[in-house]
This record gives sequence, structure tokens and C-alpha cells, in this order.
Amino acid sequence: MKCAPFDYVRPAGVGEVVTTLRQAGGDGKILAGGQSLVPVMAMRMARPSVLVDVNRVPGLSSVETDGDAVRVGALARHALLQAQPDHPLLAEAASWIGHTAIRTRGTTGGSLAHADPSAELPVVAVATGATVSVAGPDGVRELDAAELFTGMMTTSLADDEMITSVRFPRPSRWGFAEFARRHGDFALVTAVVTEFGDELRVTLGGVSAAPMRAHAAEEVLAGGGSARDAARAASEEIEPTADLHGSVPFRRAMAAEMVRRALVRTGVEE
Amino acid sequence: MSGEPTTGSLGRSVRRKEDQRLVTGHGRFVTDLELPRMRHVAFLRSPVAHARITGVDTSEAVGTGVRVFTGADFADVELRAQSALPSYVETGQPVFAHGKVRFAGEPVAAVVAADRYRAEDGCELVEIDYDPLPPTVCAWEPPEEPVHAEAPDNVLLERTFTAGEVDETFAGAAVVVERDLVTNRHSGNPMECRAGVAVWDAADRRLTFWNGTQVPHIVRNMIAELMDLPEGNVRVIAPDVGGGFGVKAVLYPEDVALCLMARAMPGVPLKWTEDRAEHLLAATHARDHRYRMRAAFDGDGTLLGIDADVTCNVGAYSVYPWTAGIEPLMAGGLLSGPYRLAHYRATVRGVATNTAPSGPYRGVARPASVYAMEAMFDSAAARLGLDAVEIRRRNVIMPEDVPYKMPSRLVDDSGHYAECLDKALDLIDYPSVRAEQERRRAAGEAPIGIGVALYNELTGLGRAASAGPRMPFRTGHDACTVRINADGRVTVFSGVTSQGQGLETTVAQIVADGIGVTYDDVDVRIGDTDASLWGFGAFSSRQAVIGGGAAHRTAQAVQAKLLDLAAGLLEASVDDLRVVDGRISVVGEAEPRISVAEVARVAYLESHRLPEGIEPGLEATRFYDPIRGAFAAGAQVAAVEVDRTTGELTILSYVCVEDAGRAMHPQIVDGQIAGSIAQGIGGALYEHLVYDTDGNLSTGTLLDYLMPTSAEIPEMVIGHVSRPAANPLGVRGVGEGGTLGPNAVLAGAVHDALGIEIDTLPVSPSRVWEALHAQEVRA
Amino acid sequence: MDVHLIVNGERAHVDVEPRRTLADALREDLGLTGTHLGCEHGVCGACTVLVDGAPARACLMFAVQADGAEVTTVEGLQDGDGALHPLQEAFVAHHGLQCGFCTPGMLMTAAHLLDTHPGADRETIRAEMAGNICRCTGYQGIVDAVEAAGNARDTPA
Repeated sequence: MKCAPFDYVRPAGVGEVVTTLRQAGGDGKILAGGQSLVPVMAMRMARPSVLVDVNRVPGLSSVETDGDAVRVGALARHALLQAQPDHPLLAEAASWIGHTAIRTRGTTGGSLAHADPSAELPVVAVATGATVSVAGPDGVRELDAAELFTGMMTTSLADDEMITSVRFPRPSRWGFAEFARRHGDFALVTAVVTEFGDELRVTLGGVSAAPMRAHAAEEVLAGGGSARDAARAASEEIEPTADLHGSVPFRRAMAAEMVRRALVRTGVEE
Repeated sequence: MSGEPTTGSLGRSVRRKEDQRLVTGHGRFVTDLELPRMRHVAFLRSPVAHARITGVDTSEAVGTGVRVFTGADFADVELRAQSALPSYVETGQPVFAHGKVRFAGEPVAAVVAADRYRAEDGCELVEIDYDPLPPTVCAWEPPEEPVHAEAPDNVLLERTFTAGEVDETFAGAAVVVERDLVTNRHSGNPMECRAGVAVWDAADRRLTFWNGTQVPHIVRNMIAELMDLPEGNVRVIAPDVGGGFGVKAVLYPEDVALCLMARAMPGVPLKWTEDRAEHLLAATHARDHRYRMRAAFDGDGTLLGIDADVTCNVGAYSVYPWTAGIEPLMAGGLLSGPYRLAHYRATVRGVATNTAPSGPYRGVARPASVYAMEAMFDSAAARLGLDAVEIRRRNVIMPEDVPYKMPSRLVDDSGHYAECLDKALDLIDYPSVRAEQERRRAAGEAPIGIGVALYNELTGLGRAASAGPRMPFRTGHDACTVRINADGRVTVFSGVTSQGQGLETTVAQIVADGIGVTYDDVDVRIGDTDASLWGFGAFSSRQAVIGGGAAHRTAQAVQAKLLDLAAGLLEASVDDLRVVDGRISVVGEAEPRISVAEVARVAYLESHRLPEGIEPGLEATRFYDPIRGAFAAGAQVAAVEVDRTTGELTILSYVCVEDAGRAMHPQIVDGQIAGSIAQGIGGALYEHLVYDTDGNLSTGTLLDYLMPTSAEIPEMVIGHVSRPAANPLGVRGVGEGGTLGPNAVLAGAVHDALGIEIDTLPVSPSRVWEALHAQEVRA
Repeated sequence: MDVHLIVNGERAHVDVEPRRTLADALREDLGLTGTHLGCEHGVCGACTVLVDGAPARACLMFAVQADGAEVTTVEGLQDGDGALHPLQEAFVAHHGLQCGFCTPGMLMTAAHLLDTHPGADRETIRAEMAGNICRCTGYQGIVDAVEAAGNARDTPA
């Protein structure tokens, strides 16, 4: 289980990253924490010809309060997110990612760019309406997290673009619930409830190709419905697929239960 | 706790001899070996489950300068596991598949390169053309195309065990319980995968093979036979081995390929380190079984008869040398477990499929068969309104029944099951768990259930206690050589092997006590066929009994020589001499007369002082064979909480009580029990090797194959009933028993908590949830 | 590519292909075979080392990424006099290892755990050690050992 050969570049700045990626012509890949990329390279299921190691690009590792949000540098490690006090939902979500030796390496930018629907941070990004800053040949653009995720492990990022930071708004109340087979495993279902103003949002991971808002559940809540009613609505509006860990009805039921738990943790009446 | 350097170390948890190197990063595992001119091997494996090979093109790979070997290179070498059973269909396993491939992951070629990275690069350039054939994945579905032409129905062996009058018994029974049970394929997955380094010395026609194996002497003999070499010219070395659990008790085609390739490249050491993906694909699997069970009971819960039909998926090949019979025959031989049973019929069969071969895995078949048997009691108890514990009590073999001839004609010498059960119930505080269960029921809180399993573990099988598939060899004995060196220290060359069981430690304890020297004065060499005379290796919980017995006998023989010489030197009677802590004294005298070191010096260096008729040297070699086996009794009880919303189980308490006989090193004994329970829990709740209908392994990484971590395994309470066995050390084997309980205990606990019969393993959240959901729908 | 790093307090240099993992560089180029590879895809934890003081999977880092870094492996746990680290001693005393293959990764994870979670209770230890798989012990001896080492450290001498 050894990687195919590649060229290794370690740029000193974002501009150089973008240039290198462009020169690679779609065959380049950013190496950040490497916790998801390196395994698939070792299995030779990914074989970029150029690996652009961004770990030494300065200025991308901080977590800072930015008004009613927290701005997270693309290279901020999960361990840092877990430890920061300014965005408790982010800290909680980060604590569910893998294990300590994964969290010391894995990065926020990497997790979003990898776009695994069962990963925690993409769900939180959608749940909080995060804004993703992306550097490309034409400078920096910003997009909503919901626009970033286009499908199963695919994003709207161009081959020569790089996430530089993510701005996660801070919800007034929140709840997080996850169902996984073992401690630290990828989630079968992640449910995140966030409150902004008087709006309650319900966001699910692991039940579709990309993190999704459970709009029907949100409507139930807007209409004063209970956590159980909203959970039921969420389970009916999703289209999960069966896999090794369970049937479609089971996955619907788990989604409902995680939504219920996240709502209760938010403070919504059961 | 600490190893005080005195005679009498047996029974104490002395500091393990292995630990210093292992905790400092200086272990010696096969993969750590670095030799001059070493080259690295990667195997190319079939991406399809069943296909004819229609073309092999190595030219592009060879063009890059690597060496490539394919099926054509070694087509004349075949592994053929043999059995004298009348129904056994003998089939062959090629070194590299040629003609056709029989499972996804089967090696079809190998590339030798400067490093492993380049070897894997080379594999990508080898082109093999496949013409697909319909694969068979499930052993209880008829094949479209047989795996082996010799077995058109894929059945490699079938045997029916019978005793008593089964049909009449069922006709007259008050209650008949019927269940079809399916257990989940999983595997040992030691943390160190397989590994080998082979080097051929052309001048002397000698092969040296470092191999992460549990059975170095068997490997030595088999390799010599397959390569037509004198056994004495093959040296197999198993250094530190990172876990085995049965997976490494098999001779694999990769091992043979490595040795054959080494012979083709004289003087070039070849190293292969299996990676985890290869391990999951191609190291032996186990426990893919179906039990069609019928049990007859009378009105008060007495078991009258068992009628079983057992199918074991043995995978694509009959594993060398254990054969496809290893699981089905063990299932049929021990299905009735520690229970009195007169009327028994069990038809067992091993069926080939296009999946990885099944082989020995800790507990061989009994984690499944115990589950099947205990399920009968759980269901019968529910039908009869009996407590799960009570129904077992009524049927278990008691000390007064021993020796008890089981319906499969194995003889149980234990009978201490009820004692184990009582102690386990005490440790878990059974009445208060039952009270808590009732309280929760009344309060509508999360339900808890109690699961119970009793089992008998047949350990240390001597020549007369064959539960195996009548192979051309009997594994009843081991040898040991003990040498007191001229400086008085002792070196032991034992035939045992260790993959974590601490045999260097245990053998040193036995020999130190057997001679009368200190534990610290004994060094143990194991795992090198050039150093030790003979040992069958680690399997069937045999080494403490057999290898330990050999060490004990040999130590006594050397002590006799030592004392003969000492008697001559001291002009005393041998009968009056005692040796303790390396000093020899005369009975009745306060001070020792002479040290072992002084006597040893005479034995080797001062022949002028040797008494008449005494040979120089202080060494002996002895074999030991216990003739029969030593049954080890065990009981496990757990209290489990079920989350009705997710189907998740939380193990609130887990208790195991075993009769390990005399515990030579209590920490090691408890470690074996805890480790085997953890593997059992893994198999019961998490681990599942799943093939899709095309025969592709869906669980090919550790992200999908879920081994339990410290967060999943509960705190365990381990208790002992120590009834010395009838062998020189009084020990019973302890390596496997723990794996036998968890399937039955955890499925039984769910049954007890929810009234749901779990017929298919693992007991995953989805399985429990689906069953609950069906129950709600019915209601 | 040239990689200069500090391993167990000593300067080291390797010349490696970019694709060579840190684990392979440690084991094969520097001869530090105490770091073991159990899965090479970041799940089993056997290859855990400390990189600039934080635990990392050496199978998921390329050696070139460690240029300029300080790496501590199991071989670096003992003090200068060769005395065992308290964790190593505790693993021996509490039978926290059987085959010893997962042990180096366990020790490195535990070393970081004791630094970051002084006084960790058994539940915390179980949760924090869950990134390292042991197939032999059933974890009982490992949790005992880490707990004992933590208690010994928290008790002033």
C-alpha cells in the first residue's frame, strides 16, 4: 500500500499555490492535513502527478472572532477548533472527528474541499451558512458553503483554486448529534440544529451526496411543531441509500432520532 | 508483581522476558529485518472472484527492470491439504493462480524490485486478461459454476455425527425449538500482517525463511516437501510475531512463492510485508456459517435431543495443512458443548465458494456453535417460562458426570461449569441485575438484558484426542531442549512459538522451577527450527499444556543429570540432594554445599573431576504428549442496555469465569482471557467481512472492517475456578475460551431485554433496530 | 529530496522520493524500526509518533513534510540513562502488551495524553486511546497502565 510517484511542491504563498495548481493542469492536488488524501493515494485510488503541500503557507492557521462569526484559516487543525472557546458548535463538531492523532493534522480547508458527506465540518458549514473564501487565478472569491458542495466528494472549486478561510456565523442556540458505529468513525448520520434570529435550521450529513438542509423539518418547527414532529418530517424528506450499516428505513430512523436529539439539545420541546 | 529472582516463580506474575525489547521499540519482527542486497516483493492479486485467465503479459513491467514471476513459473507446485476422511474431496491450491482465479485477492503474479514502492509500480504494469465465470459467494446457494472441478456441488467434505435415537426423541418431546442461525464472516486480523524474508544459498542448497508464523516447524517441513529439499536444509525463523490468532497457523501460497522466488534469485534476500488491504482480502477468514438447529426438550427443560445441519463457507481453497474440515468438524464435534446430551445428529459440511479461504481462527467454529447451542436454551427457556440460568443448570455436565462421553465421543474431563457459572453470577450480582431489569421495565426506562453462555474449550490435544480432520500428522507432542551452560545459566531451546502469549516467560518459569534455578538465570530461545528440535506450534490452546509439559519434563531430566554429577562430586546420595535458587544442598544441612554453576563448570571444563560413568555436559531433550486433551470450563455473563431508538447496545458489565487449571502466570492468563473476549465482542457486534454478489470484498479497509477499540470494549471482570488438570503442570489451555462466549451472551442479552431472537450476526444496531421495528409492526 | 529533521533529539538526514512516508523513512532509512505499520491508511495507530510534540500518523505524512520538524519515536522515550519511561514501566507492570506490535503507537499516544489530560480517568483514557487498535489485550492492561502512570505522575514524589 504505497503511493504512486508524484512531484512535490511546497509553495510559500497562496499565489504560488494557485500558479502551481494551474500549471499542473488538473492533475495537481493540495496536500493539507493529508488524513483523507494520503490513504486514497496509498491505495492508488488517487494519483495526482503534483502534490502541492500548503502546510507552510503562512497566515492560514488562525481562528479569530469576526463580528458575529468566527473566521477559521484553511490550515487550522481540528484540534485547534476543538480547543477554541469562541464557537462552541465548531468545537463540539471537531471533537467528533476521528482521534487525536487525526485532529492534530486534519485541517478545516481540507475537510471542506474533500467534501465527504459523512464528515462533520461540511455539515456545520452548511448549518451555519458559512462563507468560504477561495483563492484562484483571478483573486479571492467568496461563496456560501451550500454552493461549495455539489455532490458526493465533489465541490465547485476549480482545479486551480484553494480555500483560504471559512467564516462560520455563530448560532444563538445549537444542538449536535451524531450516529456512528464506533468512537471516531465517520458518521452514518450527523444532525446539526442552529438558531439564527428566530429561525431554526436543521442540517443533515451522511444521508445524501452532500450536506443538506431539512426544509420540511424546519417548516414544522417554524409552525411551532415539536422536536418529534420535525424529526419525522426530516426522515421523510431525505433519500438515504442502503449500505453495509443498514437499510433505508433504518437510516431514515437514525436521521429522525439524531434530529430529535439535536433539537432537544438545542432546547426545543420534545 | 515484580520478578523476585527466586525459585518458585510459577504461579507468580513475573516480569515478562519479552517486554524490555517490545516497549523500547527494539522488538524483532520479520519486517524489521534488513539484509544486504535485499529486494522487495509485491503480489499482484486478482481483481475478480472467479474467472479464467486468458492472457498474461509481463513485458511492460519487465521492461522497467523489475523481475516478474507468474503462474507459469511455478505451475508444478501445488499445496494439497490432505485428510483421510472418506467424504473429503482433495483439491489443490496453486502458488500463483494459473488457468483460473478462484477468489478476489488471489495472487496471480509477483514483482521483485528495489523497494516496495517500485514493486507496486511494477504490479500496475503486469497485464492479466480475465474471462469471468459466475461466482459463488454464499455457501448455501447452489453454484452455477463449481469452484473446483473435482467438487461439482462445491462440497469439499460432509460428515454426520450421530448418537442415540434422534427421530424418536423429537417425536416424544414436550417442546421442540427450531432456529436457523447465520454467523458473520470475520477474521483474526493481528496488528502485524503476514511477513516473510527468504534467502537462498545456492552453494549449499540451503534456504532460510524468516516468517511471521505460528507454526515454524510445520512450515519448514512443508516448504522442504514442496521444494524437494532436505528438511535439514530449510531453516524457518519466527522472530517476534505481532499476533497470530490462527491466521498465521497456515502455510500460504505467498510463503511458498517467496521461497521459490528466492531460489530463482540466489543470494538475494526477498522481503514481503503484507499490507492491511492484502490481509483483509487474502489472509484466512472464518466463521461464515449457517446452523439449522432443532432441539427437543422435556417439560421441565431437560435437553433431550439436538438435530443440526451445519454449513461452513470454507472459501476458495482447503487451507494447508488444516483442510476445509477444520471448521465444520470442530462444529460437529463440540456443538453440544458442556451439556448432557444423548440423542444427537449433526450433519456438517464444508462448502467451497469464490471467497478468501477460511482457516483456523481463535476458537475455531465454537464462537458460532456455542451461539447456536445457547440460542436453543434461550428459546426453550422463553417457551417454558424458565430462567435462562435455571435451564442451563438442569443440563450442564457436573463433576459427578465426569469423565463424560459427549455424543460426538469426545471425553469431557472437566465438569466445573456450574461452579464457573455460580461464580460468574456472584461477580455480576445476578439478583440485583434482575431487580434493576424489573425496575427499568416498570419505569419504562432503557431496557437491559442478561446474556449467559457456558462453554467447554478442548485444549492441549494429545495424540488420542483428535477433533481435527484426520490429517497425515498428529499434533500431540512438542519437544524441548534444556542446557545448563558452563557458567551455570540455563538456555532453553523450546519448540513453542509466541505471538504475544509470553511463552519465553512461561517456559523460563517452568524450567527455572523444574531445575531449581532462578527465573532470571533462564533464557529461552524459540521460533528457530535450527535451534529447537520440534514443536507443532501455537494453535488449539495447546502450548501451555504440551510445550509447557515438555519444558517441565526436560527440566526434570536435566536436574537429574545435575544432581547425579553433584552427588559424585559431593560423595553424597542423589536422593539427599536438593537444588534451590541455583544452590545444591544436602537434606538436613543448613548451608548449601555447591552451586549449580560450580557443578556446570565441572560438566564442561573440568573433565578430570567428572565422576566415573558421568558424561560431560548438562543437557537434555524430551518430548511430551498429554495423550488426551484437557477441557477448560468457562462461563460468561453480561448485562447489556439496549437503546430502542438506535438499536445500539451498551455493555454495562461483562463477567467471565474460567477454569484455567493452575495459572502459571496469572497476568498472562487474565490477558489471554480479556483479549479473547474482546475479539469475541468484536465478532459479535462489529466485525464483518462482507462480499457483494460479484464476490468483491466490500470491507477491504479498516474504515469498513470495524475492529473494536478501547472505547467499545467494556471493563471486564475475570474470575477463576482453578481445578488442576491431569497433566504434570496441572494446566489447562486458556488462549481461546474467551472468544466462545460473546456471540451467545450478547445475542442472548438482546433476547432477554426485548424478547427478540437474533438469528443473524453481528448484533449490529441496524439488526436490532430492524427486529424491534418488525416487533412493533406485529404489535 | 533532502530532508533534515531532528529525531529523538538528534539531527538526521534522509534523501527520499517525495512519496516516501515518514514511517518508511524512520523505519528503513533511519533504522528506527520501533515505529510499526499496521494498516498504512491511518486507522490502527501503530505508527503514531510525535511531530513537534503532537501525535501524528507517520503513515499519513510524507517524509518531506517533516523537513525541519522534531520527531519523537518510541526509541526516544527512555531517558538518557536508559531507564524506562514511566509509561513503558507501567505497560510492563500492568501487562499492557502481549505481542507488542501496537505498543509503540500506544505509548506515543499515551505520552501525549498524560501531557494534555493530567489525572485522566479510565473513561477519558478509553476515549483518548481509541485511535490505537490493540488486538491482544482487550485493552484492560493498557488502560490499567496508562491510569497507573498518570496517577504516579500526579502524585508528588
